[in-house]
Amino acid sequence: RERVRAMFYHAYEHYLESAFPYDELRPLTCDGQDTWGSFSLTLIDALDTLLILGNVSEFQRVVNVLQEGVDFNIDVNASVFETNIRVVGGLLSAHLLSKKAGVEVEVGWPCSGPLLRMAEEAARKLLPAFQTPTGMPYGTVNLLHGVNPGETPVTCTAGIGTFIVEFATLSHLTGDPVFEDVARKALKALWKNRSDIGLVGNHIDVITAKWVAQDAGIGAGVDSYFEYLVKGAILLQDKELMSMFLEYNKAIKNYTKFDDWYLWVQMYKGTVSMPVFQSLEAYWPGLQSLIGDVDNAMRTFLNYYTVWKQFGGLPEFYNIPQGYTVDKREGYPLRPELIESAMYLYRATRDPTLLELGRDAVESIEKISKVDCGFATIKDLRDHRLDNRMESFFLAETVKYLYLLFDPDNFIHNDGSVFDVVITPYGECVLNAGGYVFNTEAHPIDPAALHCCRKRKEEQWEVEDLMREFYSLKKNKKFTLKRVSDHGEGESAKDPEGASSEKGGEKRNSKENSHSLLSCPSQSFNSKLAVLGQVFLDNT
Amino acid sequence: SCSRAKDVTMPAKLPVNFFSTRSPVIDLFRGQLDYAEHLRQDSEIVLYFFYAPWCGQSIAAREEIEHVASKLSDQVLFVAVNCWWNQGKCRKQKHFFYFPVIHLYHRSFGPIEYKGPMSAVYIEKFVRRVMTPLLYISSRSKLLDFLSNYEPGVLGYFEFNASPQPPGYLTFFTSALHSLKKDYLGTIRFGVITDKHVAEEISLVHSGSVYLHRHVNTSLIYPNEIMNYTAENICKWALENREMLIRWLRPHGGKSLLLNNELKKGPALLIFIPYNPLAEINPLLDEITKVALEYHNCNKSQAAEPDLQHLGDSDSPAFDSSVPDAHMKLSETFSITKYPCCNTVVLPQWHSISRTHNVCELCVNQTLGVKPNKVHVPHCNFLEIEAALDSFYLQEHTFFQVISNTIECSNFLSFYSPFSYYTACCRTVNRHFLSFISSEKTILQTPKVAFSSHGKKDNTQHSIPHIEDKNWFIPDLHISGTNITGLSCRTNKTLNLYLLDSNLFWIYAERLGASRSNHLKEFAAIVDLKEEVHYVLDQKQSLVGSTLENFIKNFSILYSPLKRHLVDEPSVHFHEQRVITEVTTNTFHDTVFLSDKNVLLLYYGQWCGFCASLNHIFIQLARLLPPDNFTVARIDITRNDLPWEFMTDRLPTILFFPHQRKEQSVKFPEDFSVNLPNLLKFILHHSSLSSSEPCTKECLHKETVLQQGHISHLEREIQKLRSEISALHQAHDQLEAQLSEARREEHRLQQQKHTLEKQHKTLQLHSEQLQATYDRKNQELLEMAEKLQELADASENLLKENTLLRILVTSSEGKLQSKDEIKESLQSEQTLSEDDLSISTAIATSDEKRIDNTDTIETEHSSGNRTE
Repeated sequence: RERVRAMFYHAYEHYLESAFPYDELRPLTCDGQDTWGSFSLTLIDALDTLLILGNVSEFQRVVNVLQEGVDFNIDVNASVFETNIRVVGGLLSAHLLSKKAGVEVEVGWPCSGPLLRMAEEAARKLLPAFQTPTGMPYGTVNLLHGVNPGETPVTCTAGIGTFIVEFATLSHLTGDPVFEDVARKALKALWKNRSDIGLVGNHIDVITAKWVAQDAGIGAGVDSYFEYLVKGAILLQDKELMSMFLEYNKAIKNYTKFDDWYLWVQMYKGTVSMPVFQSLEAYWPGLQSLIGDVDNAMRTFLNYYTVWKQFGGLPEFYNIPQGYTVDKREGYPLRPELIESAMYLYRATRDPTLLELGRDAVESIEKISKVDCGFATIKDLRDHRLDNRMESFFLAETVKYLYLLFDPDNFIHNDGSVFDVVITPYGECVLNAGGYVFNTEAHPIDPAALHCCRKRKEEQWEVEDLMREFYSLKKNKKFTLKRVSDHGEGESAKDPEGASSEKGGEKRNSKENSHSLLSCPSQSFNSKLAVLGQVFLDNT
Repeated sequence: SCSRAKDVTMPAKLPVNFFSTRSPVIDLFRGQLDYAEHLRQDSEIVLYFFYAPWCGQSIAAREEIEHVASKLSDQVLFVAVNCWWNQGKCRKQKHFFYFPVIHLYHRSFGPIEYKGPMSAVYIEKFVRRVMTPLLYISSRSKLLDFLSNYEPGVLGYFEFNASPQPPGYLTFFTSALHSLKKDYLGTIRFGVITDKHVAEEISLVHSGSVYLHRHVNTSLIYPNEIMNYTAENICKWALENREMLIRWLRPHGGKSLLLNNELKKGPALLIFIPYNPLAEINPLLDEITKVALEYHNCNKSQAAEPDLQHLGDSDSPAFDSSVPDAHMKLSETFSITKYPCCNTVVLPQWHSISRTHNVCELCVNQTLGVKPNKVHVPHCNFLEIEAALDSFYLQEHTFFQVISNTIECSNFLSFYSPFSYYTACCRTVNRHFLSFISSEKTILQTPKVAFSSHGKKDNTQHSIPHIEDKNWFIPDLHISGTNITGLSCRTNKTLNLYLLDSNLFWIYAERLGASRSNHLKEFAAIVDLKEEVHYVLDQKQSLVGSTLENFIKNFSILYSPLKRHLVDEPSVHFHEQRVITEVTTNTFHDTVFLSDKNVLLLYYGQWCGFCASLNHIFIQLARLLPPDNFTVARIDITRNDLPWEFMTDRLPTILFFPHQRKEQSVKFPEDFSVNLPNLLKFILHHSSLSSSEPCTKECLHKETVLQQGHISHLEREIQKLRSEISALHQAHDQLEAQLSEARREEHRLQQQKHTLEKQHKTLQLHSEQLQATYDRKNQELLEMAEKLQELADASENLLKENTLLRILVTSSEGKLQSKDEIKESLQSEQTLSEDDLSISTAIATSDEKRIDNTDTIETEHSSGNRTE
């Protein structure tokens, strides 16, 4: 854990020294460059990692720097997807964590605050991209002028379906539903355009809704779409999103899964188009463990781990039958996905194998990619040649997940045994009770915060009514006991029952088999022994 | 979309030493495989360690290799090769999918890949096996040694009298090496007999015959006539025909179905013991194998006998003298004597006596007469044994002087009762001794002999098993009056027996419920994958043969007294802010059933995303409900097993156990969304009390309590509202501040507007002025133009006049000679008007913007003109 901390500061300090205020550090030339816009991206991205490492004072300093220094009114063409996950996500999570970090917050927090306003501003700059006939967004937008005339209408699937976590959070906090609405509309458009066998391709034309790239899989171009269906369902307790995911999951298992690997198939026919494993796919076991499919997750994870052992990293593409990297795709930009999965799985299984991966990752990254000015992307895993780039996700995700893997007592792992109570003008809020949902750039969102600002009043009144009823019910009974024994009691007892069963009936009718969608299967007996590489086959 | 200024890349760093230069390991960090091959010629045994410098596994194994090398470097050559560096020979020639890879060579034979655990002792054991794949059996005693071992043994008989090597010997030798390729632990031992008489003991007469020793089934002789006599075949034959009475399970750490395949064969007994592969003797292991042997020994009289027969007449001088004769006599003498309450204690490593002895027999003796009834009751109170154990550990100094391999006994008084004392006898158990004991076949009663030198003997006592379980064991003893011998064939619940090294695989034991306080790391559990249950050998008992036997017997009988073991979380963190009660397996019953509150129980798993995001709702609920009447509890079902009837297959699950009707638990309907109002409705609906009872004092009391709860609830509400008010006030203040700031801003803006307006006005004025000047200038210009026109006209007139005048002059020249003065003045006027003409043309072409200039010129000229 301490080695991970040292890794973070080595990279972070060199970024501040040599690259700030550019987006990213170039570790071989010790300077900076703008990559995804011009908003000191690495700093925004690394902000919550600082807090997870426990560095409160630097967090506070950076919050001030960002408030003064970052301007979104710039004539820059930015990726809608990247800006959302890195900037909006980073700012939202920093906003929600700022009280924990000792930043003095406004009274209206978490429903208002400077970082939230920045996030909202950034998100509003992205909204023009969603003005398409299908509701699916363009891939790029100019922050000052909106969508450029002549902009390509082809967007990757993940670039369409990776908004719900940030945008729903934004809508719940600010009260402006526009964000959640556009995100949902985009998700539904994708759902509508899935193939007959239930798969989605890689790229789609957002004007005509025609699939341009028809490779279906779980990796690059699609990955975070599935991730956000699950995380959105968890965050919003939304059965619809979950049922979408479960349908996809079925199709994915049917058509792409071979021997615990997931291949690429043609989205209409289901025939294998590329027998490769992509580094980006390694998030999948983590996602599976969130919904309780731990056995399968572990089996797939162990497959991926063998690739790491072969190269000291995960190549962007790995040809499974050949057991080697794919030409032109031999790089490893220090991606976090496998470590992310290890963290989730460690929560579920406490399997020491997962810590072993963590150790391997620390050793490899230090031995291979550490240079004087930071950590350099591995350009070619076959000979470990380095590239002059340190992506912002290295500090935002890779280091964060590694640290969390080795720090089981971190507040992020809070299982609900501690929490904060915040009094807001909107009422009392229970916050920081754990269950943080990480966006796809590893920015944690507190699901409790979503219940803090909007809809809060109605629910509160209902609860107060119920409490009154609770006490008066007993009172009635006491009276009825004195007077006529069962008449009054029966009435008062029936009341809540009638109300609830009525409501239940309604719900039951509207969603026939929606039961238990938002739940995980409990782990099987053999999971007790499924550690240290041991896997069990289903009895079926 | 990203533009990179220039593509700067950097090649990987050059390889450096992986092992220190002082290390006995030769480190070829540039991957010089050719040199490594060259080195092999110089040494009989070579170990290659192929590594990648970035690989965590290689780094971890490095230390282990160095450790082994420091011990064996005089006999074995250790060569480490960096097989990653892409300029190196090794990388170019070999293609490894993982690191490190260990290859061994015995002269030209190899490579033998080591696939075992990366732990120094295991590696060393393996290297030693490669060094001497065959054991030389020169005497009868050595043969007995070899045969009494639990591991399968292959023996070859070769007469070494003639030529340098008898025929077939080399093949046999190679097959021993060959077996190591398949079986990295060398569980099949290969021995060679050179003496004819020794060979006759196992009825081998022909040189070159190969014998596979088996304990339960009849031993085999290699069928030369059916199979070709090759190394591979011998090895294969031995592997196929060996007895698997008890099997070591050693998961290699990668993805594997080992446990899946083994456990699906049927119920399995997993025994965890700390195992040192280098240890000469392993008494506990021998004892366990003995049990396994007995368990599988179906035709009772045949198989186990011969070995024991040998041991029986082992008075021969060749017999290993580690067991003194006195020792045996002693045990014979005392084997009859049984003590009322004894316990065998295997000493933990830290205990000081364990330096000399490893097993102690601890007996509780009560002075007769004081508690006579107790003495005669065949009951051994566990507390007594525990107390004795405590005293014993405190009295360890008593044993300081003892010499190993003898039995040493001592009495000491109990700390708790002056009338009882304890007897402790300690000794070192080794395998000879144990096998001797079990020959008595009194397995059920006391497979272990109790020793005492000072204790009072009471032969009238019932014989009693040493090892006790307080709850259920004793009655079963009589039911299971059967012998364990051959039980595997008689029962329909046959167990497969497995051993695991707890130094490497203790985590499995922990996950089956081994307690953290288990320092010995000995544990046994029966796992039935099909029934999804497992049973655990009582961890208060030490793991010895007898306890294991009873464990097996109890599993085998029809109405098994074994109870499904429920694993529970050993350490639950209790936080100060505890509004939700954390329930574990142990506290489940107390919290849910024994409490007189309504209990809402949430089943959750830490990893389940849907559970964790509900935390805040349950915290709110717990804060809302009156704590005197309600408990909001939760149980992490992944780490805490519950009885079947309380298990659930989905997470989260919410159960409500109403007060007074705990057995009528209700489940929160799954199709409801879990939120505060729904949960409250659910609770309110089901928590209604039964109405039939008349209102007594108790009822009134309850009512008071309830109303007090209400009051405190309202008080909390008030408090909450107050804080809300203060928050609102703050927000109000903040708003006010913002408002006033906004007002100031407005004011400032207004002022700015004013000044701007003023500026605007002045500007307007200015522009008007400018316009006016412009107009005026324009006017003037027009006027000027007119004037110029006039002037032009005038000058034309003048010219005309001039010509006229000239004509007049010429006409009158002749006539008027006398009028000279007038003529002069007229000429000067003419030149002036010519000048004026040229100027006026210049003005006509010039731009309007230059009004000012022309203006002045014009005015000058016009004024000039005027003066003219």
